[in-house]
Amino acid sequence: MQEFAHYFFNMPVMMLALPQLLQGLLVTVQMGVLVVVLGIGLGLLLAVVRSFRFAPVNVLIVIFVDVFRAIPALVVLMLIYFALPSVGVTLPPFASAVVTLALVLAAFAEEIIWAGITAVDKGQWEAARSTGLGPLQTLFYVVLFQAIRMVIPPLTNRAIAVTKNTAIASAVSVQEMLNVASSQQAIYANPTPLTLAALLYLALFVPFTILSRLLERRYRWGR
Amino acid sequence: MSMPHAVPATSGPLLTIENLSKRFGPLMVLDDVSLTVAEREVIAIIGPSGSGKSTLLRCVNRLEEPASGRVMLGDVEVTARGAKLNAIRRDIGLVFQNFNLYPHLKARDNVSLALRKVIGLSREAARLQAEAALTAVGLEMKFDAYPGELSGGQQQRVGIARAMALNPRLMMFDEPTSALDPELVAGVLGVIKDMKARGMTMLVVTHEMGFAREVADRVIFMDRGKIVEQGHPSRIFGQPESPRLREFLASVLGR
Ligand SMILES: Nc1ncnc2c1ncn2[C@@H]1O[C@H](COP(=O)(O)OP(=O)(O)OP(=O)(O)O)[C@@H](O)[C@H]1O
Ligand SMILES: [Mg+2]
Repeated sequence: MQEFAHYFFNMPVMMLALPQLLQGLLVTVQMGVLVVVLGIGLGLLLAVVRSFRFAPVNVLIVIFVDVFRAIPALVVLMLIYFALPSVGVTLPPFASAVVTLALVLAAFAEEIIWAGITAVDKGQWEAARSTGLGPLQTLFYVVLFQAIRMVIPPLTNRAIAVTKNTAIASAVSVQEMLNVASSQQAIYANPTPLTLAALLYLALFVPFTILSRLLERRYRWGR
Repeated sequence: MSMPHAVPATSGPLLTIENLSKRFGPLMVLDDVSLTVAEREVIAIIGPSGSGKSTLLRCVNRLEEPASGRVMLGDVEVTARGAKLNAIRRDIGLVFQNFNLYPHLKARDNVSLALRKVIGLSREAARLQAEAALTAVGLEMKFDAYPGELSGGQQQRVGIARAMALNPRLMMFDEPTSALDPELVAGVLGVIKDMKARGMTMLVVTHEMGFAREVADRVIFMDRGKIVEQGHPSRIFGQPESPRLREFLASVLGR
């Protein structure tokens, strides 16, 4: 038991590692915010474009979605970081990781939001169109709100799942939390920094799961 | 406050349907239907389930594309290629069997949305007009209610106000009371009667034979995509000629 505490909850090591880890946490948070904003924004945009039902464009969107849902994020990151420079596009590690995860989240978000759009009752479109609203107006003022409300739970879950993957950025040596924790572990020859990182991840993501429950409740209305 | 119509007034019939046909796959849902509706005329459309009543209404504002035939609102051809559909639809109100209110908007905003986004009224002008329309259907206490907080009859009256607020030339109702509890039917039918008294031209698909008899100027009986018989309600209900109409009346009136 004492041994367990020594390796996983070593107080002196914790105190020493904490400042660095908080730096790493800050990087993780920055990446997470960018990934969620860009990923859901792009996903929403693609879902809206898809609702024009312009066949050639939709084929491209579906290919994008399927590709980025199928390839592991780490592989995408490797491609962007190591392969893109050979065609003249060089992104720094931080940007590579953000772009990777934003694209992956966008693919999932598009699929989820699109499912929401198609699940909105056809009568809503008919009612709006019958009053003279155009297709885009109907989408924005009538359909989209209902669609997004319906998909808030899966969308939040997916956003959390993808954002947690910021840890893969350590593979291209971004100084995010996991990377900091593992180098601290090497320095102190003690895994406590990893325990601390796990606790910080917990503190970071639990509020979002709670927020998602609140949002779900907030957007519910009587029928 | 009165708004101009998108389609100007004419001396001829308000609505002209010529040789309208519509098929869903092999099924001929509308089979060469022609109908002329005068200004201020109230027409009840009756007929068995699947006879094409809803499809007829939906072809008039082109929620459904007819296969062939013409629809004219006044002098404007609704079915013309490149017709300004969004402007024309302002002038053709449609009320649905299951209301189709926007569940995320208050009653007031259900009504004012098209006033703002289609007509282009300011937020304030649209609000006033929406409240006037809701008051006209007896909902002056319910401006801020969400559809989910209203009874079926109240929801349907919001649906009527939403269409009426645009000051249409023609109102179409597709079984407006079929989804209502019996005790709520009279209130909604009362609103439609008020509209007749104010001179609104209306097409009403209905299973309420008493209402058709009392309110309609003309009753149209449809069966299998065709208008089989039409005439004054006293004639249609008193001396039905075709066997199919007699059969239909016998089944709905239980004689
Ligand atoms: N979108 C559609 N696709 C295929 N068939 C359809 C479609 N809409 C309607 N139909 C068919 O067309 C026929 C006429 O339908 P319509 O809804 O116009 O009948 P109705 O007279 O309004 O019947 P009801 O009294 O039951 O409302 C029915 O056989 C129906 O199944
Ligand atoms: Mg019908």
